[in-house]
Amino acid sequence: MKRRLLWKLSAIIVAGTVLLFWLIHILVNKTEQHMSFIDEAHQQTLHHYAAKAEQLYLNGDKAGLKDWLQTLRDKEDTWVAVVQPEIQTIAGSVLSEDFKQRFRLGRSIDWKIHLYFKTNPVMDLIFADGRTHFLITLPQRMRPGTYWLETNLLLQIALPMLLMAMISIIIYRHVMSPLRQLERATQQFSQGNFDVRLRNSLGARNDEITALAETFDGMAERIGNLIQSQRHLTSDLSHELRTPLTRIELALNWAEQHSPNSEPLRRIREECQQMRNLVEDTLSLAWLENEQPELQTDELDLTDLIDSIVDDARFEFPEHRIELKLPEHALLTHSSDRALGHAIENIIRNALTHTPEGGTVTVSLRSVAQQYRIDIDDQGPGIAAKYLDDIFKPFFRLGRASRHQYHGFGIGLSLAKRQVEAVGGKLKASNIQTKGLRMTISLPAPVAAN
Amino acid sequence: MDKKARILIIEDDSKLSDQLKQLLEAAEFDISQSFNGEQGLLMAMKAHFDLILLDVALPEKNGYAVLKTLRQSRTTPVMMLTAHGAEEERITGLRNGADDYLSKPFNLTELLLRIEAILRRSLPQTRPEGNLARLTRAGLQIDKDKQQVMFDGKKVTFTPIQFKLLWTLMQHPNQTLSKPALYQLVLEREFSRYDRSLDMHMSRVRRKLTAAGMPADRLQTVHGTGYLLL
Repeated sequence: MKRRLLWKLSAIIVAGTVLLFWLIHILVNKTEQHMSFIDEAHQQTLHHYAAKAEQLYLNGDKAGLKDWLQTLRDKEDTWVAVVQPEIQTIAGSVLSEDFKQRFRLGRSIDWKIHLYFKTNPVMDLIFADGRTHFLITLPQRMRPGTYWLETNLLLQIALPMLLMAMISIIIYRHVMSPLRQLERATQQFSQGNFDVRLRNSLGARNDEITALAETFDGMAERIGNLIQSQRHLTSDLSHELRTPLTRIELALNWAEQHSPNSEPLRRIREECQQMRNLVEDTLSLAWLENEQPELQTDELDLTDLIDSIVDDARFEFPEHRIELKLPEHALLTHSSDRALGHAIENIIRNALTHTPEGGTVTVSLRSVAQQYRIDIDDQGPGIAAKYLDDIFKPFFRLGRASRHQYHGFGIGLSLAKRQVEAVGGKLKASNIQTKGLRMTISLPAPVAAN
Repeated sequence: MDKKARILIIEDDSKLSDQLKQLLEAAEFDISQSFNGEQGLLMAMKAHFDLILLDVALPEKNGYAVLKTLRQSRTTPVMMLTAHGAEEERITGLRNGADDYLSKPFNLTELLLRIEAILRRSLPQTRPEGNLARLTRAGLQIDKDKQQVMFDGKKVTFTPIQFKLLWTLMQHPNQTLSKPALYQLVLEREFSRYDRSLDMHMSRVRRKLTAAGMPADRLQTVHGTGYLLL
């Protein structure tokens, strides 16, 4: 059946509404009826009044009866009378026995009182002789249905509101609980749990929402497989490249032992090192993006970290000058010296590569507004403003004209950006007004540092 | 060393294993080879070795399984050679209970430094100045009992690790100490290629001593190897 959810919702609403009206109708009727009778105690009081009147009447104490009736009128603030009606038949009419038996001048006290009449009815209590009537307009204090208005409002407004709210909750839960499961599943999926599936947890239901769940499962299956196979590829590639690279390195060691100081071997060593860096950086980037590891566990002094990196860089690029502007201390918490160190190393190496020999690379560290700011300025050609974001994409290449100068973007800057972000920082590139490219790393400084 | 240290290589890649054997023999080690985990384990149980180089990705019984079985009865130092998961090791320094971990690709220099560090740890220590409490060298004066460093009579404040680092360098003047060895001696843990802790401590030590008036080139970085105090 198509549109099962529609039918289900219609059924719930239709059945619920009809049930509601029916229930309210019955309740209102029953309650009104129940509330229409004179209270038992009041009935007793009325009986008691009638008995007293009857006693005075039977004693022949007319004056006493008169006084007592007046007292009662004042006491109950109502009309009271004792009467003996005489019925005259006209035009040959005959009174039936039934009529004579049931004849009354007012209402019996065990009858219902119509709550919708404003005035109070006259109650009729007949003496034992059967022809003398004690009549009393029902005193206001004995009128039943005191809270009828409130009860009526409660039954006709509050009750339906409550019931409709319950029906809404039922509908809401019916629709939302699977949607909430979908939300949870989507969340888990985005956090890297690719095995999460939805359809089975929705049980036997079968409607538009389970169709959505099936679509989600299909998507999760496909994307999960895609990511898994990519990871396996990364892992396999890792092994496949690492072992031959090790063999090349060891073979090179062997060759170097046989002919030390050979220029071709030196070049092979250099290329080998580059290949190794490329492979390691690529795999590190893939690992960081796949695993999203927790890297904010170390405490370090940025001054020491940059010092040690620059020390290595000076050795690696003896033809360049590196100018350092560091504070005496720059304590950093919740960071990672490996990730950050590797990022800074890559950026400084990149700056040195693009600065002509004899040029200067400036590395400065400042503490600005709860942040550490590291600027790494080179004296290279700079980069057209529109490419400033692109250089952080893996293997980004500039146009042919600049290719000669900027041949080595590779993956270093992408990895550096990812690593800086993994420790809560930001990496940006900008051009220096005079000449050259500036890389800026901003890192959150611990509060006590400033 | 009078006697050659004995090393067992358990590695299924026979070319790589042969290359390692050749290079390590040239470096004066006594090498045995095994090409699978089961056989390697048997060899490791039967004979005494000073070090085992153990590949992780072995057919049938992998490196971790071999290590686990071996550890039940032997304490032979083991260095795992791994190609998988090296990114993680590289960034977080995660280890799996081996004495040391060397991720592929590696070259001979790196391997020899690590082997030296492990053997230094497991062989009986020979420290010529081991009992001295004070070392003095060209204006630099350090006192182990007081944990105090003086240069030209001026006091320089050091943290315990910085002191230990300088003390270790002072014990071996004019001698390059490799990073793996310094990690073992000072930080008491294994060196990992991308770990910068030692370098950072060294930068701080150098900064303090230079500020106190010591010529910067007395504490030298021997790039690719380690550090040297003149």
